Amino acid sequence: MSGLKLRGVRKSFGSVEVIKGVDLDIASKEFVVFVGPSGCGKSTLLRMIAGLEAITGGELHIGDELMNDVDPSKRGIAMVFQTYALYPHMTVRENMGFALRFAKVPKDEIKRQVDEAARILELGPLMDRRPKELSGGQRQRVAIGRAIVRHPEVFLFDEPLSNLDAELRVHMRIEIARLHKELKTTIIYVTHDQVEAMTLADKIVVLRDGVVEQVGTPLQLYDNPDNLFVAGFIGSPKMNFLKGIMENGAVRLPDYENRIVPTGVRAADGTPVTVGIRPEHFKEGGSAALPLTVDIVEHLGGETYAYARHGNGDLLTLATGNDRAVGSGDSYEAKFDPASMLIFDAGGLRIR
Amino acid sequence: MASRVVVREHINGWLFIAPALILLGIFMIYPIIWSLWMSFQTGRGMNFSFGGLANIQRLFADTVFLRALGNTMIFLVVQVPIMIILALLFAVALNDTKLWGRSFFRTAIFLPCVTSLVAYAVLFKSMFSAEGVVNATLVGLGLDPVPWLTDPFWAKVLIIMAITWRWTGYNMIFYLAALQNVDRSIYEAARIDGVPPWARFLYITLPMLKPVILFTTVISTIGTLQLFDEPYNITQGGPSQATLTLSYYIYDLTFRFMPSFGYSATVSWVIVVLVGILTFVQFLVAREGRRA
Ligand SMILES: Nc1ncnc2c1ncn2[C@@H]1O[C@H](COP(=O)(O)OP(=O)(O)OP(=O)(O)O)[C@@H](O)[C@H]1O
Ligand SMILES: [Mg+2]
Repeated sequence: MSGLKLRGVRKSFGSVEVIKGVDLDIASKEFVVFVGPSGCGKSTLLRMIAGLEAITGGELHIGDELMNDVDPSKRGIAMVFQTYALYPHMTVRENMGFALRFAKVPKDEIKRQVDEAARILELGPLMDRRPKELSGGQRQRVAIGRAIVRHPEVFLFDEPLSNLDAELRVHMRIEIARLHKELKTTIIYVTHDQVEAMTLADKIVVLRDGVVEQVGTPLQLYDNPDNLFVAGFIGSPKMNFLKGIMENGAVRLPDYENRIVPTGVRAADGTPVTVGIRPEHFKEGGSAALPLTVDIVEHLGGETYAYARHGNGDLLTLATGNDRAVGSGDSYEAKFDPASMLIFDAGGLRIR
Repeated sequence: MASRVVVREHINGWLFIAPALILLGIFMIYPIIWSLWMSFQTGRGMNFSFGGLANIQRLFADTVFLRALGNTMIFLVVQVPIMIILALLFAVALNDTKLWGRSFFRTAIFLPCVTSLVAYAVLFKSMFSAEGVVNATLVGLGLDPVPWLTDPFWAKVLIIMAITWRWTGYNMIFYLAALQNVDRSIYEAARIDGVPPWARFLYITLPMLKPVILFTTVISTIGTLQLFDEPYNITQGGPSQATLTLSYYIYDLTFRFMPSFGYSATVSWVIVVLVGILTFVQFLVAREGRRA
């Protein structure tokens, strides 16, 4: 099994630079998720690893080998596409065995491999159907099966679940996690869904505009984001951002009656900062509080979200646990622990 | 019972298509029925009488007809496959995003089928004449000149080259359109999986284009069975009837010789029957292929 090493990897389409120097180490057997907003270059980076896009600059190693100019079929990778990319005129069995025919694998060995993949993915009864006779989730499993039979060192997934409905997505997410346990290979997985990223990844790579913003485990990114972008991107619902000004080792919140919240973070007096508080960090018993009026309440049963604001200020999201008493129009003292605040400077970088 | 609204909608509908129906009736359906009736008439010029199956008997004894039928079949069997394969290869090549000057080549290859027929025929005739550019080039390369217009075999070759030149681009457009609808990631998946380019063409492109290939084959078959323009303008059916086609023969029967309208209608119906049979066979073959 092999890991990957990217050093200063760049990609330009004509004069437009899309990937602007990516350095990344991926360990063998690691499940890595590339996440970021639409157009940030996730697919492009994945396709460069696959060899479908030429690398404009930098180095790509898979295992110990420099792969920049190696043919896609010789990189020890297999890829699962968002559109499944199944061969429409072939049955499930033919789809999965097709590539092996050209790898000079004997017929009975192909059959054995395909049957094994079918067992893992529970495709048994579907083997003689054509792709158009399958549901979206089944097609996705066939596409994964087609990748499995090649025994790649590295699996590449490009938004494999985004064409599925919500329920199936959760189901397939669990399947993929199980598959990773069973196959013990390196997986690189692209998504713009941060929940998928949080649940699947050993390591998340947050991309923005062709630049890696932060790399870390899901909880590192959640607890300890390096900048405003990562803080806002990871976590659902999104983190709340408040304007603040540093004064005497505390933050003054001008939009909230100039309330002063003590903080351990050090910065010069008068520094304008952005304060980040996650919705779930508003808790009874916190020593700081924001005076708010509840605007809208969403009861999800196990969780109640209140959207509240002070005066005409920005709407904040509060996870109130299971506080079913909150109602629209109520005044609400949103308590929180000052230690749970994250503080960012004017450039969006975290001040620790 | 249909409600009043439904009845009114029906009347409206028929009124809308009436002009088209009337024109089609006068200029297509009536002549077709008339020609079917004519095909059982014998006699020359305007005095004809019902002859029963006499015209059909005449077909089998008519060496010129048999000649024309043979020539048409040769054109069909040789030209259609060559053209379809060429069109496919061009389409696949010109679908490659990395190819330089794609749109220029696409236009260049498509252009022949919209150029003036007579202009191109005159040009072909002069290029392939005994002392034309083509022979001059052949001689320049140290080869023997070819009697394009005077040898029965080479005249057929010339006609085949001419129709292939004119219609390959037309068929290519259909394949290009079909190829552009194919999800690109199918080919990318095949590339990653190590499927060699020839196998991608043979096992992925061809099967996916099958419906379009069937369509173009049927259209080309019909076109070639009705072949007239090129033999008329380039070789005048010669030399010694080597490029005489069924349509050309119908023309001769109707307008050149002492007109024999009944018999020429019979020959026209031979083409109709051939088109019917061949189209049926092609659909059958396509269906078999799908089941296998
Ligand atoms: N072949 C191409 N030619 C020119 N620009 C391209 C090409 N492919 C991608 N781009 C550009 O590169 C940028 C990154 O595209 P990419 O597909 O990698 O985004 P992504 O992160 O996968 O987005 P999404 O989540 O929408 O799939 C985009 O701005 C896109 O317009
Ligand atoms: Mg993408």
